[in-house]
Amino acid sequence: MFMKTFEENWTAWLDGEFSENECVAFEATLDDRAAAEAEKADAQKLGSFLKQQLQPHPMGNEEFFHHQLRQRIEQENGTPDADETPGRRENWWSIRRLAWLGATSLAIFAVCTFFVMRQQPAPNQSQYLTQILNARVDPGVNPDATVSIFQTNDDRVTVLWVDGLKSLPSEYAAK
Amino acid sequence: MDTEATPAEVDVPDAALVEQAQKGDTAAFDQLVSRYRGRIFAMIYNMVHNEQDAWDLAQDSFVKAWKSIGRFRGQSSFYTWIYRIVMNVTIDSLRKKQVKGGGAEFDDAIQLKEIDPASRTVPHADALPHKQMEHKEIRGRIDAAIAGLSPEHRAVILMKEIEGMQYHEIAESLGCSIGTVMSRLFYARKKLQSQLRDVYENV
Repeated sequence: MFMKTFEENWTAWLDGEFSENECVAFEATLDDRAAAEAEKADAQKLGSFLKQQLQPHPMGNEEFFHHQLRQRIEQENGTPDADETPGRRENWWSIRRLAWLGATSLAIFAVCTFFVMRQQPAPNQSQYLTQILNARVDPGVNPDATVSIFQTNDDRVTVLWVDGLKSLPSEYAAK
Repeated sequence: MDTEATPAEVDVPDAALVEQAQKGDTAAFDQLVSRYRGRIFAMIYNMVHNEQDAWDLAQDSFVKAWKSIGRFRGQSSFYTWIYRIVMNVTIDSLRKKQVKGGGAEFDDAIQLKEIDPASRTVPHADALPHKQMEHKEIRGRIDAAIAGLSPEHRAVILMKEIEGMQYHEIAESLGCSIGTVMSRLFYARKKLQSQLRDVYENV
């Protein structure tokens, strides 16, 4: 019965749960044996006082309790889940639910990664090039226009080759 | 539901009644309810100090027990098993109340409830008014001291001191280790000793 902590050992000693040897061993660890004995007597006094004072509170109207309980049981479905044994329930938790949890987590991770990656701008892309790429080349005005881009990220050089442009969009006109 | 068991029914062991109840026999479950409702109600009452709450919680506990009796495997006694349900239901309720009411659950309504409206105006000759008063006061002090404990500490002290349960039964009922039960007992006793010493020294 010897336990790990002082509290546990004290409780076992107080409730007489120790064997004779354990009792002697525990009492040897007490600094003030007389004070401990007084404390023990006090705790035992409390126990018998509580037992004496807290008489079982009688339940009034037991028949109505039964009647109400039966009604509730009938409402809540009737028969107990006889085949829902703990083993089955634990297996369902451990295998099926964990598999679903894992698959769902993976799917959420993949979707989040896709959106995050898509929203990130390409590294080292110049602001100017972005503007050009976003600019509209009106096919009515420039039907034969072709735009080619040559980019070297390492050297930070971008060459924009525009062919067949009859007029330059006003926002890129040289000033 | 029959509230009084016949002599033959009284002899039926819990395990046999549980087995029948697991097959859907409500009459067998009724017998189990009849056997334990009094103790369970009294235990809950000592935890919550309110008759209506104790009634409702006992009902909830038995409904839960009925719904999950199929899962009872008989490794412990039926009483220990249902006690676990009772403790879960009661401790949950106390926790919810503490959260809702900021921890104050001992109020005037409870004090007033102690005076039974149906009680006799003229007491029995052997129950002197000052004795009754004294008893109510003592009971009030005990209830207040117990209400000051956490639900888990309340449970262990009542199961040990009032129900006389063994450590391992308490541990099973509360779903914790024996060491935890002993540790909680230590602190619950210390707190009650400090709060009630003047009462039990003078009784």
